Amino acid sequence: MRVLVCLKQILDPDVPARDFEIDPAAKAAKRGGANLVTNIFCENAIETALQFREAAADAKITALCYGESTAEDCLRKAMAMTVDEACLVQRDGNTNPDAAAVGRVLAAAIQRLEQDGGPFDAVLVGRESGDWGTGQTGGALAEELGRPVLGFVESLAPGNGSVTLRRQTDVGIEVAEAEPPFVVTITNNEDNVPRIPKTRDVMMSYRKPLQKLSLADLGLDSDEIRSGSSNFEVEEIFVPTDEVECELAEGDTLDERVDQLARKIHEVVASIG
Amino acid sequence: MDPTQATREVFWNIQYTWLVYVLMVPTLAVFGWGFWLKIRRWRAGQPAVRFDRPGERLRLFLRNAIGQGRTIKRRYAGVFHSLVYTGFIVLFLATTVVAIHHDTPLHIMKGHFYLIFQSLIVDIFGLFVLVGVALAAIRRWISKPKLLVYTDEASWILVTIFVMALTGFMIEGWRIAVTDDPWAHWSPIGNLFALGSDPWMTDTAMQRGHVIIWWFHLVVAFGWIAWVPFSKMSHIFTAPLNIFTANLDGYGGSLKTIDFETAERFGINHLGDFTWKDLLDFDACTECGRCTDVCPANTVGKSLSPRDIILDLQALMHKQGDQFLAGSNGSNGDGNGATLPVIDEKTAMAPEALFSCTTCAACMEACPVHIEQMPKIVDARRFLVMEEADFPEGMMDMMNSLESRQHPFAGTQFNRVDWTEGLDIDVMADMDDPAEAEVLMWVGCGGALVERNRNTVRATAKLLKKAGVKFAILGREESCSGDPARRVGNEFLFEMLAKGNVETLSRYGVRKVVTSCPHCFNSFKNEYPHFGGSYEVYHHTQFLDQLLAEGRLDRARSATVNGGRTITFHDPCYLGRHNGEYDAPRNLLAHLGGTRQVEMQRSGNQSFCCGGGGGMAFVDEPPDQRVNQERAQEAVDTGADVVAVGCPFCATMLDDGVNARRGDRDVRVKDVAELLWDEVGTP
Repeated sequence: MRVLVCLKQILDPDVPARDFEIDPAAKAAKRGGANLVTNIFCENAIETALQFREAAADAKITALCYGESTAEDCLRKAMAMTVDEACLVQRDGNTNPDAAAVGRVLAAAIQRLEQDGGPFDAVLVGRESGDWGTGQTGGALAEELGRPVLGFVESLAPGNGSVTLRRQTDVGIEVAEAEPPFVVTITNNEDNVPRIPKTRDVMMSYRKPLQKLSLADLGLDSDEIRSGSSNFEVEEIFVPTDEVECELAEGDTLDERVDQLARKIHEVVASIG
Repeated sequence: MDPTQATREVFWNIQYTWLVYVLMVPTLAVFGWGFWLKIRRWRAGQPAVRFDRPGERLRLFLRNAIGQGRTIKRRYAGVFHSLVYTGFIVLFLATTVVAIHHDTPLHIMKGHFYLIFQSLIVDIFGLFVLVGVALAAIRRWISKPKLLVYTDEASWILVTIFVMALTGFMIEGWRIAVTDDPWAHWSPIGNLFALGSDPWMTDTAMQRGHVIIWWFHLVVAFGWIAWVPFSKMSHIFTAPLNIFTANLDGYGGSLKTIDFETAERFGINHLGDFTWKDLLDFDACTECGRCTDVCPANTVGKSLSPRDIILDLQALMHKQGDQFLAGSNGSNGDGNGATLPVIDEKTAMAPEALFSCTTCAACMEACPVHIEQMPKIVDARRFLVMEEADFPEGMMDMMNSLESRQHPFAGTQFNRVDWTEGLDIDVMADMDDPAEAEVLMWVGCGGALVERNRNTVRATAKLLKKAGVKFAILGREESCSGDPARRVGNEFLFEMLAKGNVETLSRYGVRKVVTSCPHCFNSFKNEYPHFGGSYEVYHHTQFLDQLLAEGRLDRARSATVNGGRTITFHDPCYLGRHNGEYDAPRNLLAHLGGTRQVEMQRSGNQSFCCGGGGGMAFVDEPPDQRVNQERAQEAVDTGADVVAVGCPFCATMLDDGVNARRGDRDVRVKDVAELLWDEVGTP
């Protein structure tokens, strides 16, 4: 079995609010003092793939990232977590969030990797990214590859020629049997918390080869990718301001205050309708 | 009677005296063999430099081995151990005198020397042994404190020593009685036996008894000597050796560095990974239990027990015996499962216990024989963290944050510079000439990124400004010193952070560093020199104390901001025990007008950890096993209004603890710098 995990490098979502700034002209977040990290759902996807490999004999995992050269860090970390191979498709300064365009790049890269190493049975993509959060890339990628896709999967288990998938739904867990090849988007659960790499693996990750491809290598026109598809455009981007109105329930005794509070709640509920 | 002729007959009433020498041969052979086995095992350990600086070592040896400096710190045990210890020395000297007198031409056992030393003094010290052993027996068999290990061996040691001393007096007494020794009154205890036996024993009975007890005494003594290397009595020799080869660099410099390029294994999980000094540590343990008694984690009911760690490792070392030798240097020996792992769920080296150590070094300070427990715990943590990636969740989050953000506080709403708002503080990167800054103020993550500590660093900066110190900060270029990573066992991450910081500081030509975080202070002072970073390092209380002494800060005795308050100072482990600074913060507090300082029950080098060291500040402790609350209770119990601290970790830990334990009282936790600024900064 060959498994591919797509990774995205994003601005640290834990950056203090006061350090988060928008560049209105570029319609994007500024890097500022923030660090770059691997999107958490992508790390959940790596962990899910690693657990699948532990259960399935001779599975191989490839990590793929479309990003700037800094994204090499994400791939090194994935290798430290012991994925077998890594490939970076270099983005040239474009922060376009268009999932369809990203899906095209990833699909082209996957097809290229498949030419060299054989087909991927499963392609894992994080449920959504911590920056734009569109949650569309998995679907767009599946469309480009012409493969079936299942969303919100939390684990993969090897079956007899197929793969058993557990996916989260609004009402519970759904278990599906999937014939490879397929695409899944991975969500988090308590079992796929990304592991901490062993130090020796961290050291080894710097010695492992890392394949780098450009858009041109994949036969893609970077201008076209940059302009994105016609169905997606960022109109405006801004930091929402939270306005909190705080009113204290007044009264001399606890009973009075509770009474006040109950009245207020009643008023608010009534005003909402 | 001429006292210059006073002496006694050696081997009075004893025939076949040659048998003594014959029996001595196997006794000494077994004794020597036992110690040879030990030495052979120690030599299988990794190298360590512990015979350098002989002058310092000799001083330490005289103070804590010969002088029993640490042993006597516990009154009861100190008293009985001193009695037995001095008694043993005097009785050994007395035996030597007999041997010289009898077996060499030097007949020294006569005259005043015989009367004063060989009779009177020896009798008194023999009594010391009896009393000492009796006191020890009362403790072991009646009062039974928790810190002791209750083994048959320990009981037999008391019994045999008591028997040796008692039979010694019996044979002395019967000799005095039968020979009508004219110098009897110079041997008061022996004479007491003589006077006690006389009325109801005939001379013949005493003479016969003398022979039997004499040989019995000899057999017990020789058997005991042969047993020494195989029991904890071996500490008679291993303890002084261990003290002589102790770590002279202070607890703050006690962790080993790892050469990641060549290391076969990171951290320790096999006996062969330990240095010879670590192995000697195991054999030097006297089972006194003081380390576990003072251990903060153990005190609040956690399973960590430094005593049992050492004893379990000792047992493992003895059990492994030659197999361990075959498998030394970290390899797996002959493949017969020769080296067992030292980390083991079923022993004191269980991961859960290892990960509750705060690295406070109270165990090492308490140990009368200078065993180094804490570095071994960190060595084992290194194995778990770096080889197994197995450690508590809170530490995992902390390390993730260190890796991606270079600070341990995931989710902080502050950055490294916003505490400077309104203070006009130079940031090195923005200065035309960073060399203008005479001092680098190293803020530390705990100071800049944790809300409650921002006042501390603000106060420190304002004090430095007021004193006219030209200083600057690194701002966003600062990253964690690496201390939490190192204590948790992630040496690799520590090394990366340390090298990065050394590089940044070199870029700006930094020579002098002031920091309000004792953990950063310790790393800079004791650990960064290994990575090429040597600086003049001050804890902020030291630097402020110096400024005060130089008259650069106004003394503010008249100020009344803190007037009437009672203050107790909590010694941060990494300032106090690890680096020996106890006075500077207290000096500063003494300058606060109208305040009174009180000490907690455990203070100075006996201070009790806040619970935040060793990465424990990032771990969610069970509500009934919180070290910070134990310490906070002690602080509250002093009746103080202010608990003064000198460490951002202590501040947050004690804040939580004091709030839980202060009841209705108004007790505040404040950094010394905050308190000082309250006064100096008040117009």
